[in-house]
Amino acid sequence: MALKNAEQYRSSTKPTWCKDCGDYKVLESLTAAMAELQLEPHDMVLTAGVGCASRLPFYTNTYGFHTVHGRALPAAIGIKVANKERTVISVGGDGDGFSIGGNHFIHASRKNPNITYIIMDNEIYALTKGQNSPTSHEDLLTKINPYEVIEERINPVLMALSFNTSFIARGYCEDQDQLTDMIIQAIKHTGFSFVHVLSPCTQYNFKVTYESIRKRIRQLPDKHDTSDRITSMKYAMTQEPLYMGIFYKETRPTLHDKLEHLRGMALGAVGNPSEYTIKDVMKQFE
Amino acid sequence: MVELVTRIVGSPGDGVISSGDILTLAAARSGRYVSTYRSFPTEIRGVDQSLYQLRISSKKILTSADEVDVLIAYNERFLRDNISDLKRGGVLIFDSSGNDCRFEEYENFTKYFVPITFLAEEFGSERAKNMVALGVLLGLTPNFEINDQVKADISKKYETKGSEVVKSNLQAFDKAYQWTRQNLEKEAFLEKLAIEPSGKKLVMSGCEAMALGALVAGCRFYSGYPITPATEIMEFLAQEMPRLSGHVIQCEDEIAAITAALGASFSGVKAMTATSGPGLSLMSEAIGLAAMAELPVVIVDVQRGGPSTGLPTKTEQSDLNLAIYGTHGDTPKIVLAPINVEDSFYQTVKAFNYAEKYQVPVIILSDVSLGERRECIDQFDPTALEVVNRLKPENIDDKVPFSRYTKTYSGISPMTTPGEAGGAYIATGLEHTEDSSPSSKPHVHTAMTEKRFKKLETAQSEFVSARKYGPDDAKFGIISWGSTSGPVLEAIDIAQKQGYSIQALYPRIIYPFPTKWINDFLSNKEILLIVERNFTGQFANTIVYRCTSMNKDIQIHNLMKYNGEPFTTNEIFSKIDRIIKGQYLKFTTHQ
Repeated sequence: MALKNAEQYRSSTKPTWCKDCGDYKVLESLTAAMAELQLEPHDMVLTAGVGCASRLPFYTNTYGFHTVHGRALPAAIGIKVANKERTVISVGGDGDGFSIGGNHFIHASRKNPNITYIIMDNEIYALTKGQNSPTSHEDLLTKINPYEVIEERINPVLMALSFNTSFIARGYCEDQDQLTDMIIQAIKHTGFSFVHVLSPCTQYNFKVTYESIRKRIRQLPDKHDTSDRITSMKYAMTQEPLYMGIFYKETRPTLHDKLEHLRGMALGAVGNPSEYTIKDVMKQFE
Repeated sequence: MVELVTRIVGSPGDGVISSGDILTLAAARSGRYVSTYRSFPTEIRGVDQSLYQLRISSKKILTSADEVDVLIAYNERFLRDNISDLKRGGVLIFDSSGNDCRFEEYENFTKYFVPITFLAEEFGSERAKNMVALGVLLGLTPNFEINDQVKADISKKYETKGSEVVKSNLQAFDKAYQWTRQNLEKEAFLEKLAIEPSGKKLVMSGCEAMALGALVAGCRFYSGYPITPATEIMEFLAQEMPRLSGHVIQCEDEIAAITAALGASFSGVKAMTATSGPGLSLMSEAIGLAAMAELPVVIVDVQRGGPSTGLPTKTEQSDLNLAIYGTHGDTPKIVLAPINVEDSFYQTVKAFNYAEKYQVPVIILSDVSLGERRECIDQFDPTALEVVNRLKPENIDDKVPFSRYTKTYSGISPMTTPGEAGGAYIATGLEHTEDSSPSSKPHVHTAMTEKRFKKLETAQSEFVSARKYGPDDAKFGIISWGSTSGPVLEAIDIAQKQGYSIQALYPRIIYPFPTKWINDFLSNKEILLIVERNFTGQFANTIVYRCTSMNKDIQIHNLMKYNGEPFTTNEIFSKIDRIIKGQYLKFTTHQ
């Protein structure tokens, strides 16, 4: 196998993203991570819901399942359970992942499938031309919130920590080397890994610019203990500054491990036969 | 045909369901055909009655019958509630412990006043009174000869509760049997009753039949969310699927359940989810995704009373519109409606075959009365059934992107599996070109919509036509679907004995709508009766809209039931009778 570079994971489809969209950089970091890991495109599956960020699978040459709004994770879980050899990565935006699909994030964390979830957070619904999302700043007025924003924003990393997601990191699309490394570690992590990426929308969200993010972020200390969930939560609590880096990781049995264990028990209950066929299933009805 | 119809009624805690299940299994294991009907109170400790009816027969049967030969009642109120269904000359067994009511007003029955509860106490435990009732019933039918099977099933039923419980139940059954032989007067009909066994049977519920059908068809992934009355499918698969190297996962909601199933299907594994009406409503968007991305998937809907939460434990056939029309956009899919437990098995195998072959979502419409009832099906060889797998590309050129949605004569395009080099593509809910690039160009949407529906055209040309019952030259036709077809066919038998000539059509493929079969069927009919269990006449409306213009002189009648209960044969027969006797003016329903 000839060594692949990041470009060789791209499809010929030209992104529909606006000029300056942060998602280009996330795509670059993701394909760089794929190249670093020398994964075969046909051995990977990208899943997505609907939104600007969710278009990303079309711009790679991997297999992909672009589902309906909010459903990237359940699709990814189905794919991974049925086809465990594949590297499965879900991508999407903040509205897709934390609003319409929010429930799935909780339960994916509980199941701990060996998949990676990358959220490109631009703090707005951009594909529909600018409405407040669950991560929008309370000061962001849009056409559907013309007077005042009445809902508070959520804190994705703190949420993930409370769900006990087994790998949690936050990166900034401009800090590409760090982000690439984070994605590599997330893919290599055995279990459900979550990478929260700040990826600004220069078209519709004027509150969030490359400069404002630069001012807002701060790196987690080098000595941060990624096995310490409580300390990670303390760092995650603050919205200003917003800490960047790998917050938390823990290795515990994955969904696949648990399903295999369960299979052993199911066969044990019938005396571990060397072969078990549909005819054996039918015996209980005789 | 020799048969025995028994109904047991009591309060929750009387063990009605357990004793009914034991008798059902024993009769089936001994080679008789059995059909059952169970009705639970909705509250676990409510005052409603538990009811178990089972019909044991030497021949294949379509329903659990309207009227019963034997009625076993544990209390006076339930006896009075059920007496009208006891045949003239039938046998009544009443638990007379502490109740000396002799029901003098009910004539023409053989009445046994058996202190069932007291006997149970005497034989060991009051809790075993359902076993006493079984002993009494079989003591009255000595030629039935299923005591050994009953005892085996008692042991099996209570083995998890310990050997003491098993022993006391067996003892209560045996002693009650002996007591009956010695103390009760013989009733001629029961004393001589011998129901001939015939061949080996499997006994299972409608839900289990669908779960088994899925496994036989090669389904190795199930994702679901618990819902009454479909959960039994998941319970069965949770036990068996892992042993066959498949997987069952419990999801956070029905939306996740179907999307996970689609993920598994995309990944190359046959996948299914099962739910009831509320879940099917939630799944509608993803069913559209399956249609757009051309992913095979099977969705079971065990219908219950609706709308909304409705009647979770009561039956209805009111999800037809949702199943056929429920998804936004022009959505090719296939909807099947099995008529009984055996059909539930075979239609599920077919559902997977259709899903795989035509790369569409297939919905199976069962319902509470069918999903929960136990029936016998003849033993079969699972390896002899036709199992279809999806079309794969013959060779892949890995130098060019794979064209997943290539237009073909049949509309069916070869499909790759992740991991296959050169086969990568994006399955998407967006309209797309043949090589799966998103596109909203007019000619693309036109061509791809036609491509997706071309598959249904191909499917229709390959379907075996709908089943008919009764003479072809009959001028009176009945159309029914799903589990309503059983009582319809029995009503036709009764009508035939009255000298009426009637033919029924019961399509099991409900969508694509069987317009041609119905038109052929109607071509020589003068009267049409459409029978279904919903208020709005969901099937009837489509028949009237699509089919009857070919035969404008036809009289159309509807029979709709929407009280949560299945049809009785008699309800259908009496409607036929009244139509024939001219008690209805000619009218065209509907609205």
